Amino acid sequence: MRFGYGSNGFPNHRLEDALAVIADLGYQGVALTLDHAHLDPFAPDLPGRVTALSRRLNDLGLAVVVETGARYLLDPRRKHEPTLVSDRGRDRRVAFLRTAVDVAADLGAEAVSFWSGIRPAHVPEQDAWEWLAAGCSAVLETAERRGVPLGFEPEPGMLVHDLDGYERLHALLGRPEAFGLTLDIGHCRCNEPLPVADCVRRAGDRIVNVQIDDMRRGVHEHLEFGEGEIGFPPVLAALAETGYRGLVAVELPRHGHDAPRVAERSLAFLQHAAAEAAAAAEPRPERERATLEQVRAVLVERLSVGAAAWLHESCALVARDPDVLARRFPAAGRRCGRGPLGSPVPALDGWTVDDAVRAVLLGALPADGADLAAEAGGVYHHGDAAEKRGVLRALDVLGTGPDAVPLVRDALRSNDTRLIAAALGAFAAEHLDGDAWRHGVLKCVFLGMPLATVAGLDLRADAELNRMLRDLARERMAAGRPVPDDVRLVLARLDQVT
Amino acid sequence: MRIFDPHIHMTSRTTRDYEEMFEAGVRAVLEPAFWLGQPRTGVGSFTDYFDSLVGWEPFRAAQFGISHHCAIALNPKEANDPRCAGVLDLLPRYLAKDGVVAVGEVGYDSMTPEEDAALERQLEMAVEHDLPVLVHTPHRDKAAGTRRTLDVVRESGVPPERVLVDHLNEVTVEMVLETGCWAGFSIYPDTKMDEDRMVAVLQAYGTGRVLVNSAADWGRSDPLKTRRTGDAMLAAGFTGDEVDRVLWRNPVTFFGQSGRLDLGAEQLDAPGEALGATYAGNSVLRGARRED
Repeated sequence: MRFGYGSNGFPNHRLEDALAVIADLGYQGVALTLDHAHLDPFAPDLPGRVTALSRRLNDLGLAVVVETGARYLLDPRRKHEPTLVSDRGRDRRVAFLRTAVDVAADLGAEAVSFWSGIRPAHVPEQDAWEWLAAGCSAVLETAERRGVPLGFEPEPGMLVHDLDGYERLHALLGRPEAFGLTLDIGHCRCNEPLPVADCVRRAGDRIVNVQIDDMRRGVHEHLEFGEGEIGFPPVLAALAETGYRGLVAVELPRHGHDAPRVAERSLAFLQHAAAEAAAAAEPRPERERATLEQVRAVLVERLSVGAAAWLHESCALVARDPDVLARRFPAAGRRCGRGPLGSPVPALDGWTVDDAVRAVLLGALPADGADLAAEAGGVYHHGDAAEKRGVLRALDVLGTGPDAVPLVRDALRSNDTRLIAAALGAFAAEHLDGDAWRHGVLKCVFLGMPLATVAGLDLRADAELNRMLRDLARERMAAGRPVPDDVRLVLARLDQVT
Repeated sequence: MRIFDPHIHMTSRTTRDYEEMFEAGVRAVLEPAFWLGQPRTGVGSFTDYFDSLVGWEPFRAAQFGISHHCAIALNPKEANDPRCAGVLDLLPRYLAKDGVVAVGEVGYDSMTPEEDAALERQLEMAVEHDLPVLVHTPHRDKAAGTRRTLDVVRESGVPPERVLVDHLNEVTVEMVLETGCWAGFSIYPDTKMDEDRMVAVLQAYGTGRVLVNSAADWGRSDPLKTRRTGDAMLAAGFTGDEVDRVLWRNPVTFFGQSGRLDLGAEQLDAPGEALGATYAGNSVLRGARRED
């Protein structure tokens, strides 16, 4: 993740000084807000200054995005005015934004960021939207010509204040590719209905520029990290998931009095959060699985003499002639019992005696890998529910490899809780793809099954499962139905922001 | 009153039926494989049906506190369809299953040569798999059909105490009981038998080897007819023990001969827990059944 810092956080520094501080701290980029003291676009010799700055950024190794939110650049009396939705002077805003695009192109900037402006009270909403679309189209023309992506930023209090508004505008413009999104992470907490990480996922590949800061619900105030309500590791993880590669620039325009130290603390915080997000995304360690030997050992304790003899004979027959399995496999329960296995091995929790016997019978087949998977498939597809459960359990201790995954998928399509519980064992935790596994977990919740039955839940749970469970919880609450405690627990573990 | 309905096609019934049956005292059912009203077109269709009888339907029943077993067979009606002849080769695989406690329904529909062949072959399978047999008697030409059925059964070598001859009436009951077979009666809203005629049969022939069922299916039928018969018996002066014998102990004894009947004792003792429990706290997931 590449972190940057907004030059508007250094309003009391010369631009060249600010850049030096930012680069020295270890930031990889700067979000440059064109302003009086920072590359004033209306001062003489703009091209010369742009060329010099470009060289300077290159020397410092800083990437750049161009921001256009200066307060009094166009009008010394009215903050932010005129905007794209003002009843007068919109053309000045458009001209400024086009200049900003040119500057960005000459600097090799990654994006130009801008917002809609506040709709004056006397301007009808429809007019405001038309003006905004017209202004955006004009700027877009320059941006497309110069090859600079636009990052439109929803800003609380402005005409376009949330992701819904951005999408409406994007659609209004005909969904141009170059009309991307600037996402301010703090704003998501402030005024978006979804959890922050979900906003990031929703915005997805539209994101061309990210501003980052902490914030509280309903209060549009950019706060230092830790002072607001956002849990950042899941947000950064979500951002990484979207494939975003651009700058993530700290946006703290009201901390200029202490800018160098704020910038230092901010980077340390973000690097820590990114490390946490990366650790969570690490490939999971090999899950401890039970072995067929352990299953055999437990059965020695558990089976009567008669049952043990039957199993011994059956294994010998199966080893010689796999077709014997068709008659012996169904009889496992009535010959050996169906009670709980009661094994001290944690990975065998939930197993019954007949499950274990069936695993041993399959283990006696003179086959492994894909051949064993095919044999297991044969008894599975001709099996009753107990036989199917036995096959699914056995997959945890057999060496079928991923060829047996279709059996797990079949079981997860069923509505039989016994099969679903057995299907989400260690084998599924290791071999099932993310989508199928997550839907299996969700099905458990739907069917009222305890999530404790899912093997490897903590290791495999990810941001997408978090989103799915959260949506489910929201649906349940909307319907006035209870959310199971274990779902709340998993959600709490997955995301501290609730 | 505890009730084992020894012939009911739950596949065609609703969850409301399950609820009302439980309410009426039904704790166990036997679902024999039969036709679906609409003829099947091939073997695959039977596979799905049999899978459901040993898979989904018992699971569904368990949600309502009712233990479900089945009988598997190629029914006489469809034994006449050459497209379904391959079903006979499919049967051994199912006859090995835990939930399969009998071969059935076999028997005659129109007494064709194809029906003869299927019946004989399936009686052999019953011997091979050590299972009792549920025999359907034809609705048309019932007396002649029943006589012929009894002849074939005698020649098959299946012991008569392992044969239940079903859909009997006043005309056919005596010849069946004489052979040593069990006698089944289907109580319907307005055909076959009704509960008062059933009481008269019981008064005439006793409660020895007699079973009463609803034979409820996709047609006009009533899954609570077993309970109505029990009530009619009590009203006619039978004791509670005699009612229990007909509605519970007789079917348990007959199908118990399979060695595979599993009535999940906990369901009988704590019906409230099983009712509505979809996962935790019942025997469904744990499979913690009686070991034998």
